Amino acid sequence: MRETYGRLLPEMRLGDLAGKLIVIEGTDGAGRSTQIDLLRPWLEELGHAVVDTGMTRSPLAGEGIRRAKEGNNLGRVTQALFYATDFVDRLENEIVPALRAGFIVLTDRYIYSLMARAIVRGMDPRWIRSIYSVALKPDAVFYLRLGIDQLLPRVVFSRGFDYWESGMDLYPGHDMFDSFCSYQAALLTEFDRLSAEFNFQMVDAAADARTVCVHLQHNILQLLERDSRKNFMSRLYNDSTTAPQPALQEKAPDRAKQPADATLFAVANPASTPPSNGNGHHHAAHHGQ
Amino acid sequence: MEIGSGVRIGPFEVFAPLQPAVSMVRHYGEHHFPGRLIVVEGIDGSGKSTQLSLLHKWLESKGYGVVFSEWNSSPLVKDTTKHGKKKKLLTPATFSLIHSTDFADRTERSILPLLKAGAVVLCDRYVYTAFARDVARGMDRDWVRELYGFAVKPAIAFYFRVPLETAIHRLLDGRDGFKFYEAGMDLNLADDSVESFRMFQGRILSEYEKMIPEFGLTVVDATLPIEVQQAQVRQIVKAHLDKANELRVQA
Repeated sequence: MRETYGRLLPEMRLGDLAGKLIVIEGTDGAGRSTQIDLLRPWLEELGHAVVDTGMTRSPLAGEGIRRAKEGNNLGRVTQALFYATDFVDRLENEIVPALRAGFIVLTDRYIYSLMARAIVRGMDPRWIRSIYSVALKPDAVFYLRLGIDQLLPRVVFSRGFDYWESGMDLYPGHDMFDSFCSYQAALLTEFDRLSAEFNFQMVDAAADARTVCVHLQHNILQLLERDSRKNFMSRLYNDSTTAPQPALQEKAPDRAKQPADATLFAVANPASTPPSNGNGHHHAAHHGQ
Repeated sequence: MEIGSGVRIGPFEVFAPLQPAVSMVRHYGEHHFPGRLIVVEGIDGSGKSTQLSLLHKWLESKGYGVVFSEWNSSPLVKDTTKHGKKKKLLTPATFSLIHSTDFADRTERSILPLLKAGAVVLCDRYVYTAFARDVARGMDRDWVRELYGFAVKPAIAFYFRVPLETAIHRLLDGRDGFKFYEAGMDLNLADDSVESFRMFQGRILSEYEKMIPEFGLTVVDATLPIEVQQAQVRQIVKAHLDKANELRVQA
């Protein structure tokens, strides 16, 4: 049965949440939304109903947070709690009902980003963990990791520096560049710490988007095959796929244990491919490409 | 006292020791800011706002720099709360969180800096309101206390104790019924707003009673004449401020 991180909200029933909760985490510019845009149609083609959600999208608090951030006078505790309000609104009214209806929920960031941001801003880690103890444990957390050296060109040559992404509220004396580097480095350190604690599956986000996507698809299929509705689903996959096995495959487990800056999924060695369970998921992995 | 995940409540002047960003909260406990925080609590219709307003006038006449802060009044957050109430979007959890967000903004923006600056800060409702209401709505008691771990502990917290029926009579004197969330209509306790109010506020009262020893609330009998209550309040405040002044002279 599904679990929370320790505390249960009133009227939150966990018994019948049949769907899957898949988290895409990572720092700013790691390509999270690109991946979700690729994964959603792929999953729908396979016959899964998908809901995607992300920070500040709640009907209750999204607009309020955007307004508050415009003024640059949003305090650190206030900021942490405003985001918690937004998260819990989406948890109760979007994520849980979707899981109950059997949807796959793809979420762009989850409590981990919120905890990292708050901790980097000096909040007591025990305090922020206590607040998010009401969150559901997801089925998988994919952490798209990007070092600062790789992140910088993406930011500089696309959207430029943003006040909040540069942590200017934390380092008011710095210029945007220095502030950005200090802030993102602090976030990365915190993410790496959370990664071990919450069992993230590490993904090298420096690779091109297609490669990252193939990796994610492979792991998501493994997750879906463990589903209790497996027999039904494997029929579905066999029906919908005819393509040969994809060239890119690698072992999914043990990702989180590798050093953070290692090449996390090099060219696949077919010999090291985990045995297929014969219900055609590799075909499916190739299907959306 | 240790609760839940180990956030300390009690021996500190603040509810929990947050780290660097709000470390000034701890310094308030350790070094004593020159300001003083005085709060009033009680259910709707207990007369606490009347008493606080009279105290405000008196303190000003004595030459203190006094600032007033009201529950649910943050310029950054209150529109979101209003939006949530109007559209009935709030669950017990988000009701709790959006009010803590409002309180956080007032703490960071005004309460804390004003206490540092030496003001007497008067709050109409404080964290105890959240503890009472949120738990009455079914939230976990420890979770709500930890949520407000960043709050400054008040010098004096008055609790205006009043029987439920007295409060209802006072409130209904000027109007027909109660607002949706005020009456706890979101909990589906009763169809009628007055009946729902009675049941919901009954739960809140019992939470307040438990908090009197837990947080050392100063109880005022809110059925007494206004003048008698105010005389008691002023006496208690005066004793506290005299003592604070003595300490300052010695230091």
